[in-house]
Amino acid sequence: MSALERLLGEFEAQPAPAGARLAAAQALRTHGLPTRREENWRYANLRALEGVARFLPAAPPAPGTRLPPLPEALAGYTRLVFVDGRLTTAWPQPDAAQITRLPMDAAVAGDAAATMFETTGDGRMGLIARLFAPDPLSLRIAGPAALELIFVTTSGAAGSYAEIAIEIATGAQVALVERHLGCAAATLPPEAPASLNCSNLRLRLAADAQLRHTRLQQAAGNALHYHTLSASLGDRGSYSLAHISAGDGSDRSSAQIRLQGREATVRIRALAAACDSGIADAQFTVLHEAPGTRSDQLFRGIASDRAHISCSADVQVLPGAPGSRVLQSLRGLIDGKGAEVNLRPRLTIDTDDIQAAHGATTGRLDEDLLFYLLSRGLEPAAARSLLKWAFLGEAFGAIEPPALRRAAELAAAARLSDAPATELLQ
Amino acid sequence: MNAPLLQIDDLRVSVAGTAVLHGVSLTVRAGEVHAIMGPNGSGKSTLAHVLAGRPGYTITGGAVRFDGTDLLAMAPEERARAGLFLGFQYPVEIAGVNNAYLLKAALNARRRQRGEAEIDAFDFLNMVRAKMRVMQIDEALLTRGVNEGFSGGEKKRNEILQMLVLEPRLAVLDETDSGLDIDALKVVGRGINTLRSPDRAVALVTHYQRLLDHVVPDQVHVLARGRIVRSGDRELALELERRGYDWLLEAAAAVA
Repeated sequence: MSALERLLGEFEAQPAPAGARLAAAQALRTHGLPTRREENWRYANLRALEGVARFLPAAPPAPGTRLPPLPEALAGYTRLVFVDGRLTTAWPQPDAAQITRLPMDAAVAGDAAATMFETTGDGRMGLIARLFAPDPLSLRIAGPAALELIFVTTSGAAGSYAEIAIEIATGAQVALVERHLGCAAATLPPEAPASLNCSNLRLRLAADAQLRHTRLQQAAGNALHYHTLSASLGDRGSYSLAHISAGDGSDRSSAQIRLQGREATVRIRALAAACDSGIADAQFTVLHEAPGTRSDQLFRGIASDRAHISCSADVQVLPGAPGSRVLQSLRGLIDGKGAEVNLRPRLTIDTDDIQAAHGATTGRLDEDLLFYLLSRGLEPAAARSLLKWAFLGEAFGAIEPPALRRAAELAAAARLSDAPATELLQ
Repeated sequence: MNAPLLQIDDLRVSVAGTAVLHGVSLTVRAGEVHAIMGPNGSGKSTLAHVLAGRPGYTITGGAVRFDGTDLLAMAPEERARAGLFLGFQYPVEIAGVNNAYLLKAALNARRRQRGEAEIDAFDFLNMVRAKMRVMQIDEALLTRGVNEGFSGGEKKRNEILQMLVLEPRLAVLDETDSGLDIDALKVVGRGINTLRSPDRAVALVTHYQRLLDHVVPDQVHVLARGRIVRSGDRELALELERRGYDWLLEAAAAVA
């Protein structure tokens, strides 16, 4: 029995599924799960999905269950902690007066573009999160706010699912941090089956709204991660995404960003660092749909040992988007005999009067740069780590606050074969 | 007479199966400045890079001793820490590695080699700033990526700055004068002269004698077709300026 048949069977065995969940099941039945025959899924780890023993979400953790240690709180942020997909933080939070919780079904129904991405596009894995998320969370943010979402798991045998929709009101400025910590390495034996982590995040930015979003996937252990993100921006909306994939196991992120309003802007800084036999696969689609929109995408990935890294970056400038600007830079570094990096930049232009620049390069460490550093007396390992750190540097630049940047740097540093010198970290 | 700091005996080198150096012999003593001149393709840069340990060259014969030690048996970083500095003809740009970090890391690597403690951050900055003033380099370049976005002249001055910070025993400067305007040439010349001392030596690899107006060499050698075909004093450089290299190439061909 295929993974799809099993997960739908488990879903239907639940009592009285309804609303958006039922529609999600129907969409999965109609359109199926992605396969590696699809270009945007060629390098994703989908085979592992077939090995998932049980799709139903983990039962609520028993009292006294040991949780992974949580990182220090970020000053000024409202923290929401999800354990196995269950929101364990009391709501509402006293420091989140600008944030209102709404019914999820209404949020799903009100965003047709995201629904299309989830049903017929690359967002289909997000539907699994919708089927099983125990605590879907739909928020409306009316004014300045900083929100930190922490995801931890306690079980290697069951799924962890999260579905979150955030609507940002006109002119609101929001900082959003999303950290996937996985399971504490000490709580799972090495032979534990891969845990399944699926999240689906929908973002809607109204006119003049600004969002600075950091997504840090640093889960330890043998975990499967499938994260889906869709965002739509209104007039002059501004979205900055820092995406760091630096966990063990395998990670697939699918994102679609629609620049629907005039002069809307998205800036993506994505970084992947994978070692051993880890897999980090990212797919970003940016749709320029309105005049004067701008996108600026940068991806840096280092694959060590036998790791595989891929990034598919698809930018489409549609007929209604004259005066748009597109920047796209993808670079990958292969740092192991069995390592692999696949980059696929795509730029489709269906209008006149645009400025676009894009490039993609994959290779090994530049021998000329290495020799230059050696000729100054640096040890080979120090020289290599310095060059790798420099290679990733641009992608860290977008991360704030400094404590979060340091966490991202440490997570990435742990996935490199030559650890950077301490003084290079923030 | 000082003991040889660099002793090259019958050095033979090939690149991708093609012989480039056909038996170079050269002795450089502490306190001396040697100019190695020659036409394009004569093997000057090959010699400089082989001394620094660049991969890609095959040593097919001969020996090189640096301060009494077998240089060719040392890794590039060991050569650097032992006090050999290569000034690159085309310094690379390393985005994301700032100048100050590299300078400090390189200096501390040398200090560790000598059994000294790492330099204090405050002392380091004071020392580097003083040397930047000598080289007329804007302090803002310290926090920029190594040579990132630098002009050609800035890159060359930055090479000499690195040399001044590292205080090597032997500096091999590969066409440091190429691409420099008259003023920058003076600054670079001043920087090189700052390093001159009785216990250090400099090997200047150059096409032209104009740098030698500012850094007066003790000896001038002409490398042609992979061999040193003539050695002399500064007068030889002036003669090359007047007559070009052809007369020496003809003489070398006659010997070969």
